[in-house]
Amino acid sequence: MEGLSRRGLGRAALAAAITVPATVPATARAQTAPSGPPIRIGYSMSLSGGLAGNGRPALIAHRIWQEDVNAKGGLLGRPVELVHYDDQSTGAQVPGIYTKLIDVDKVDLVISGYATAIIAPAMPIVMQRNMTFVSLFGTGANNDFKYDRYFSINPAGSKVKETFAKGFIDLAMAMEPRPRSIALVNLDSDFHQRTAESARYLAREAGLRIVYDRAYPPSTVDFSPIIRAVQAARPDVVFVGSYPPDTAGLLRAASELRVNFQMFGGPMIGPHITAQKLQLGPILNNLVVWDVYAPEPTLQFPGTQALIEKYQPVAAREGTDALGHYVPPLAYAQMQVLEQAVKRVGRIDQAALAADMHASTFETVIGPLKFDALGEWTEERNLYTQYQGVQGNGIDQFRKAGTQVILYPQRYKSGDLRKPYTAGA
Amino acid sequence: MSDTTIPAMPTLPAPRRTGHPAFWLASAAVALVSILALRGIGSEYAYFAATFILQYVVLATAWNILGGYAGYVNFGAAAFFAAGAYTTVAIGKALGLSLLPCIGFAALVGGVLGLGTGILTLRLRGAYFAIATLCLSVVLQTIVVNWDYVGGSRGAYVIRPREVPWPFESYSGYLCAVMVVLAAAAVAIARSIEKSRLGLGLAALRDDEAAAEAAGVPTLRLKLIATTISGAMMAVAGAPLPLLGSYVEPNSAFGLSYAVNAIAMPLIGGTGSWAGPLIGAVLLASLQQAATVTISSAANLMIVGVVLVVFVCAAPHGIIGLFRRQK
Repeated sequence: MEGLSRRGLGRAALAAAITVPATVPATARAQTAPSGPPIRIGYSMSLSGGLAGNGRPALIAHRIWQEDVNAKGGLLGRPVELVHYDDQSTGAQVPGIYTKLIDVDKVDLVISGYATAIIAPAMPIVMQRNMTFVSLFGTGANNDFKYDRYFSINPAGSKVKETFAKGFIDLAMAMEPRPRSIALVNLDSDFHQRTAESARYLAREAGLRIVYDRAYPPSTVDFSPIIRAVQAARPDVVFVGSYPPDTAGLLRAASELRVNFQMFGGPMIGPHITAQKLQLGPILNNLVVWDVYAPEPTLQFPGTQALIEKYQPVAAREGTDALGHYVPPLAYAQMQVLEQAVKRVGRIDQAALAADMHASTFETVIGPLKFDALGEWTEERNLYTQYQGVQGNGIDQFRKAGTQVILYPQRYKSGDLRKPYTAGA
Repeated sequence: MSDTTIPAMPTLPAPRRTGHPAFWLASAAVALVSILALRGIGSEYAYFAATFILQYVVLATAWNILGGYAGYVNFGAAAFFAAGAYTTVAIGKALGLSLLPCIGFAALVGGVLGLGTGILTLRLRGAYFAIATLCLSVVLQTIVVNWDYVGGSRGAYVIRPREVPWPFESYSGYLCAVMVVLAAAAVAIARSIEKSRLGLGLAALRDDEAAAEAAGVPTLRLKLIATTISGAMMAVAGAPLPLLGSYVEPNSAFGLSYAVNAIAMPLIGGTGSWAGPLIGAVLLASLQQAATVTISSAANLMIVGVVLVVFVCAAPHGIIGLFRRQK
């Protein structure tokens, strides 16, 4: 065998330097810094106006995802860049923003901002360009459009009427003695009309007598008359659908009027926001609330806790929702769906991405997801949780398990229903 | 009768004024050039930005007919605007009509609403009239929220037609062209009113209603005409809104930004002339649109307020007033 000369050794080293990167495992290569032109993801986000309270936490979650993905080598080896504009919580701004994103900024992918009022105005633009669209917290936004490249990150699923209030009614009917009457109170808004419709339908199915069924207008500021009227109807169970300002008003009124119901709650959006949790404190005890996430050991998926831990210091710095238990996990999952589809498809091809999203199951920080023909979850995941043992107004009690126990669905159950609801009395 | 005659004043050469037909023709020409220019750019975003700005040109011009010419401040611009939007929703759903007939119906609804407002608020002036128009907005919003046929509080989806009218390539381009025509027509109408006997009567009404009445100006009739025309035009501005976003819900259709912009734009441009609202709307709406896609933060909400405060302090008669003072 011939000895290797100095020049030959140099050539061999050069050849090795060229060939080794091609032969190392793909996973190791993915850890290298992303290169090339960035993959640009465009969307509008409500950073001011009425929806900003949830829009800002969603944006933080998106940024955390961006950092995570870029740290792992980017998407298809390219860095990820987020291009977003403030829609001021106004739907009229949205079409202009999406045309700017697609025509001028030339984004590669689009996702939605937060809530139906922002998702719906983006739909015609996205549909016109045949782009795949992953939305966040839209309720029935695709029912009229029936766009086959729409995918929703919302646990309500597509059969809202049949499933949304099922957990609440099932919990009520499992009480001893069994309740015989129910009161339905809801805000006159899109989401809460749908949820009240579900409660009405399922209550009738369960044989509950509806003794009070009223919607209140969004301009309502005094909630005592509503609670008094509900008390006068003497229901065993009260199902309430409300948004944060109304939730605070309703619960304060319930506290002042010293209510005593066997079960009280529903989709009362409000305690989901940390500031309201702290403000209401013990008034929350025994309140049954629809939710999307609770820090219980039964509801932990890979990445959930890591996300929350990354989110909270950023939120503290930026002065937004401190705990991040409501929107951030879903906003992160929205990006994970996009990420996994792009990785599987291996290129930016809108038709192929949509086909993959319809066919695949996605592993996310909120658990495995699969989409149906309308882009809603094939299996709804409405959580019904109950606040238990809340003392004072400290934040730390809400970080740990046991304060907001999961009652429904059974597979995530972490505690038992406590009754009655007495609004902190 | 005395034979002596008052010596005639030396006649000054009358300033050259463009007649009504010539102005209408010029407006049509500008509209045509604008449509061709936008088509030349060919960007969907240009269509949207132009539609957004032109919508405010119509709204501000309409507001100025009552607020600027007659001096009756209307805080209910959003109500008329939303009335137009919801007319498109209701008529589109009931009769399946396309955008252009819906705009006609919106003008009718807005006109009747304006006339009704005028009749109901005949005795009110100044701040009391302004508060009454604000109440109108609240009443209309309550009606819409409780009217399930147009979606109630859930809002309504209006799917754009698949067929795009010839010779447009996209529905956004068609919507933009419609808005260009509406804006040109609104400016021409405003200018025609300003230069007519109606405009002179409204100016007299604005300066001193009692004196105008004493001098034989039919203030009641003029006020009703102004509220009707203004209401109709504001509703026309709102009519294309559902097709622009494909979704309309009460909170956004009755949004405060429409009411505030409808007042701020003529004030910034100058309320005494047809050009004032046009300048104010183009300036402020362009600024807002540019801020939305550049600054992208809550700061852009301050723009209207800051610009308004600056103009109220530095140019109380608007941009037009600044130029007139320099002359």
